[in-house]
Amino acid sequence: MIPIDNYLVLATVMFLCGIIGVITRKNLILIMLSIELMLNSANLLFVAGSKMHNNLDGQVMVFFIITVAACEAAVGLAMVISLYRKYGTVDTNFLRMLRG
Amino acid sequence: MAEQLIFYALAAIIVFCSLMVISVKNPVTAAIYLVMDLFLMAGVYAIMEAHFVAATQVLVYAGAIVVLFLFVIMLVDLRSESVTKSGLSGLDYVTILLTALSFAGVGCLLVFAGEPMTTGGPLTPDVIESLGGNTYAVGMTLFTQYLWPFELASILILLAIVASIVIAKKDSSPKKRRG
Repeated sequence: MIPIDNYLVLATVMFLCGIIGVITRKNLILIMLSIELMLNSANLLFVAGSKMHNNLDGQVMVFFIITVAACEAAVGLAMVISLYRKYGTVDTNFLRMLRG
Repeated sequence: MAEQLIFYALAAIIVFCSLMVISVKNPVTAAIYLVMDLFLMAGVYAIMEAHFVAATQVLVYAGAIVVLFLFVIMLVDLRSESVTKSGLSGLDYVTILLTALSFAGVGCLLVFAGEPMTTGGPLTPDVIESLGGNTYAVGMTLFTQYLWPFELASILILLAIVASIVIAKKDSSPKKRRG
């Protein structure tokens, strides 16, 4: 029997990795990979909560999160392709139209 | 004990892979590390007796989403970007440090707050076993209590398909079309 704390700490470390990736990466696709990392750590938290409370709602919620993550990846990557087609780059150093 | 050892091994490799995802230069390598990460997460879910979630993780995440990422990485020419890797500025380091500190605070809270209070729901592992396994129990919850969100999820997927096709297709408005 593994204490719940271990899952929580693992999820925290993964989320930290994801958020540092979003801050430091300059490539749109790699930023989206980091977002996937963060979504995964949220999933791990949900399953840990489900195990802790002897309740399956958390696992059903993970199912929905995976659905939403798939939709997010599809739409986001479509936007990346569209941006690449228009500007020829996916580097956030060059894509700064929205930066005031 | 074996369960614990496997979990710690999995957790160590997961942390290593997460660090590699955010530090390697080549996007394809990062995506492959993410696949490994997701597979090991499926292992962790299996340890937690969430078999349905583990299967979904492998099928949807490692099987579909990362393949989509790999396709896009290969469609987009990244050679020019991967060479012009701009180093981190001083502000970036400050941000990373502050983020790490705040997360370390959260981690300390989690570890030292003691065993969290649990509401002790009805579905203990024994009950789930007698119902017919984790997948059966999750399916019963999904198709009774969460039937309406489940149907909404299908509409969401349909919307995402249409939206991604519309966004990614070539701009074919008449004024921009060239003979």
